[in-house]
Amino acid sequence: MPEWNVEIRRRLAALRLSPIREAEIVEELSQHLEDRFRELLSRGLSQDAASRAALAELSESDLTEALGRLERPAPSTPAAPGATTAGSRVGQLLQDVRFGFRMLRTRPGFTAVAVLTLALGVGANTAIFSTVNGVLLRPLPYPESGNLVTFWGTAPEKGLPVVNYPEAMFVFFHQRNRVFESLAAYTPGGVSLSGDGEPERVATTWVSPDFFTVMRQVPIAGRAFLSEDGTRGKNNVAVLSHALWRRRFGGDRNLVGKSILVGGQPIVVVGIMPPGFDFPDRSDMWLPQVLSAENVDDWYLSTVGRLKPGQTVEDAHRDVVAMSDQFFMSRPARFPEAKPGSRAVVQPVLRSLVGDARTPLLVLLGAVGFVLLIAAANIGNLLLARSVARSREMAMRCCLGASTGRLTAQLLTESLVLAVLGGGAGLLLGALGIRVIQGLQVGPVPRLAEVRLDPLALFFTLGVTLLAGVLFGVAPALRVSRVDPLDGLREGARSGTSGGTRRLSQGFVVAQFALSLVLLIGAGLLLRSFRRTMEVDPGFRPENVLTARVQLPWPKYGNDTVVRVFQNRLLESVRSLPGVHQVGLVNRVPFSRGNPQSNLYVEGQPPKPGEAVPVINMRGASPGYFEAIGTPILRGRGFLSSDVPGSPPVVVVDETVARQFWPGGDAIGKRIRTNTDSTTPWLTIVGVAPNVKHASLRERSNFELYWPIAQNPTWSSYIVIRAAGAPEGLVAGLRRAVSELDPTLPVSDVHTMEGAMAESLSLARLTNVLLTGFAGLALLLAVIGIYGVMSLNVNGRLSEFGVRLALGAAPQDVLRLVMRQGLVLALLGLFIGLGGALWLTRFLGSLLFEVSPMDPVTFLTVAGVLTIAAVAACYIPARRATRADPIAVLRRD
Amino acid sequence: MAEREWKKGSAELLILSLIEHEPRHGYELGKLIESRSRGVLRFHVASLYPLLYRLEKRGWIDGRWVEKAGQRRRRYYRLTADGKKILAAQRKTWSAFAQAINRIAGVQHA
Repeated sequence: MPEWNVEIRRRLAALRLSPIREAEIVEELSQHLEDRFRELLSRGLSQDAASRAALAELSESDLTEALGRLERPAPSTPAAPGATTAGSRVGQLLQDVRFGFRMLRTRPGFTAVAVLTLALGVGANTAIFSTVNGVLLRPLPYPESGNLVTFWGTAPEKGLPVVNYPEAMFVFFHQRNRVFESLAAYTPGGVSLSGDGEPERVATTWVSPDFFTVMRQVPIAGRAFLSEDGTRGKNNVAVLSHALWRRRFGGDRNLVGKSILVGGQPIVVVGIMPPGFDFPDRSDMWLPQVLSAENVDDWYLSTVGRLKPGQTVEDAHRDVVAMSDQFFMSRPARFPEAKPGSRAVVQPVLRSLVGDARTPLLVLLGAVGFVLLIAAANIGNLLLARSVARSREMAMRCCLGASTGRLTAQLLTESLVLAVLGGGAGLLLGALGIRVIQGLQVGPVPRLAEVRLDPLALFFTLGVTLLAGVLFGVAPALRVSRVDPLDGLREGARSGTSGGTRRLSQGFVVAQFALSLVLLIGAGLLLRSFRRTMEVDPGFRPENVLTARVQLPWPKYGNDTVVRVFQNRLLESVRSLPGVHQVGLVNRVPFSRGNPQSNLYVEGQPPKPGEAVPVINMRGASPGYFEAIGTPILRGRGFLSSDVPGSPPVVVVDETVARQFWPGGDAIGKRIRTNTDSTTPWLTIVGVAPNVKHASLRERSNFELYWPIAQNPTWSSYIVIRAAGAPEGLVAGLRRAVSELDPTLPVSDVHTMEGAMAESLSLARLTNVLLTGFAGLALLLAVIGIYGVMSLNVNGRLSEFGVRLALGAAPQDVLRLVMRQGLVLALLGLFIGLGGALWLTRFLGSLLFEVSPMDPVTFLTVAGVLTIAAVAACYIPARRATRADPIAVLRRD
Repeated sequence: MAEREWKKGSAELLILSLIEHEPRHGYELGKLIESRSRGVLRFHVASLYPLLYRLEKRGWIDGRWVEKAGQRRRRYYRLTADGKKILAAQRKTWSAFAQAINRIAGVQHA
């Protein structure tokens, strides 16, 4: 008798009916076929013929299709009892999500590592992406700010990357340019605001009358500047920032039209700007700048212009260069050396505002991208390992009737649950990271305080997370879809790994090592260059030094004698404060803003034709200044109280000048001056000081000249105090001393010298800290990665190792075997990473100081560290392999 | 082909009629249709059972396993209350339809 059951079952298999229903149908149909078979036999057919005829009737129409329209397939996860049998997709999804959570809970170690890895990767990315977006990309809060550009001259051959323009040149630009809709000049600075309340120094910008037109700012009260405000005699007007108006004047609407005391002078407030406008650099007050078309001697004006529609930065560059050429060549008396080919830099305002912060931020963005990739590879590996460990479970479910589609959907859901958990935690870490970055007080990074976890970053994170979830889910899911359940059961028994899975996870390890190497080398180069920076001798001793700025208003201090008297009394008064060791005055203290410069002419060494006139930094210093700042006089003398007007004009130069102009000889007694006209006196060199770093420890040595401040007093000066101990305690005493001399004088820019220097390094320090952190994270993840893969590998081959050992292999041989395998992966990664690093470190060039982007020491050290880490990570699983017990392993099968 | 089309339209009515007065099992139903139609209509296993399951799912017939001494158990189908109403309605429709066909076909032959 034929096996009716088998034939019927074969036709029902594709329907995946519940076992009970299937059994019922099989019974009923086979009963029918059996009856039919017997009937045909009774009609005299042979067994064979009867059987064929009955079966033919079974195939007469498509049973499977007809039943398929009627019968419902069984739920495909019979492993979860009590699960919903509702066929809806939402129900399935909810079930998968619940199951995913349950799976994650049952393996807390795996879950913690995966979620933490993902959270670190996503968190670092969210923080840096938000920062980059907030600082570099977000448009400035001015109307059509994309059309705002700024430009300046440049003379890198003189060590002058930025050369501002003299008034005459700006007036020339203003009249002749063809690319700007409107163009303004500005000069940032500060003035003292007195009258009601404490005198204070207010960030002030002198602007040409067009300034607010260029910025498209309309005052909320009063008016902006008119062109007549820019003429002498009519310029005693001011526009205030919203912040200053609220803070100092209580938001008084009637302030417009009233006078306030600016630098001791009455100035009429004509307008109040809307909240948020403080261009450039947190300006609180704007005063009109009087411009002369004749002044070509003072190069101090910054520019801001609004491009005409359709004009580009390149158009503007061409125009500025052409105008500069015209300007110089039309004044042969003043610029005898002028020839075409002036140099200028034109930049969008946003770009120039961000300035030096741009490169470090982009480097960090690249670095976190790497970290995310490494984290992704790690999670991919973890999930692969999980799927291998679960292949038996999957095979079992497959046999119990789960479709491949359902298993795939479930694995994807599990990875998505993981991704959402990790992404959520990452978002929190990211928000925290932004706080930390802001808390680091990085002065040179503008707009940092306004950085928020913005929607773009949120979308970015969400996108990355979901993508990661799908990607991580796909690899294991593909694996499942290809597994034959029976093989799975058999293979599961031996917990081995298939070739494809192994290759994929090995690929992940290689990629991790390559990426980690690049990051570690980048971090290593920055650390080395930071150390080099810290080793630079600034030319003074910053410890225990306090500096503060005192600006004397004109016309109260309208002549040199008044200024001199005030400065002498201030020095005396501060010197008598307890705890003060030394005190001096200087017009610009190191690591403060601004750097007055002049041309340098040396007696007997006129500049050769066609050669640029050298430029020298100008410092006015009082007796005691060199002692207070800690700059030793190398030869000759410093300044004495006898260096006063009427006595011979003397200067101290730095050793860079001495070496350049009197190599091998002595500079003492030689004469220099700052201009060639007959009214400029020759200055006799009486001393040589070491070179002092002015703006940055990394700057190259510039020529420097000190003159006795009493011989040519400046209104603005810094008082420099060397304290016997910590200098912070002297601030109150200093303020009291100034106030006793003149209660209307504000004391501003109070810093310790060490604080100012640290501030100058803060951006480099931030970059270092973050990049080192990211590199360390990368190293950790790569080590976890290789450890995981080698463990998995060893576990899968335990029986093989057991047999090898049983057949007489020494444990050392097995150890070598495993170690070699791991190290091949690590070294392959290192090799690829070296190539990547050689190519990528060039982008670090501008951040490096006295370290080559291909510094062999860094490359070798980092490669060594990674190799050692790989050896350590492989050693533990390798040791386990040597302890494989053949009996135990075989019995387990 | 024509036979298949006819079967499709009439199959439900045939089944419901055959179990109107007593429950029958699938094989018996197949045999009855074949013999009473004198071999013109035939329902074999692959088309009969999907039809039975469909009617059962609609609630018109009810299948029950019945064991009889000395035999394997069989599944007997009987008419439900709903099935009875459907049968009456279908009979009416079918006889109206058949009369209409007859009238037209008769006129044409005349």
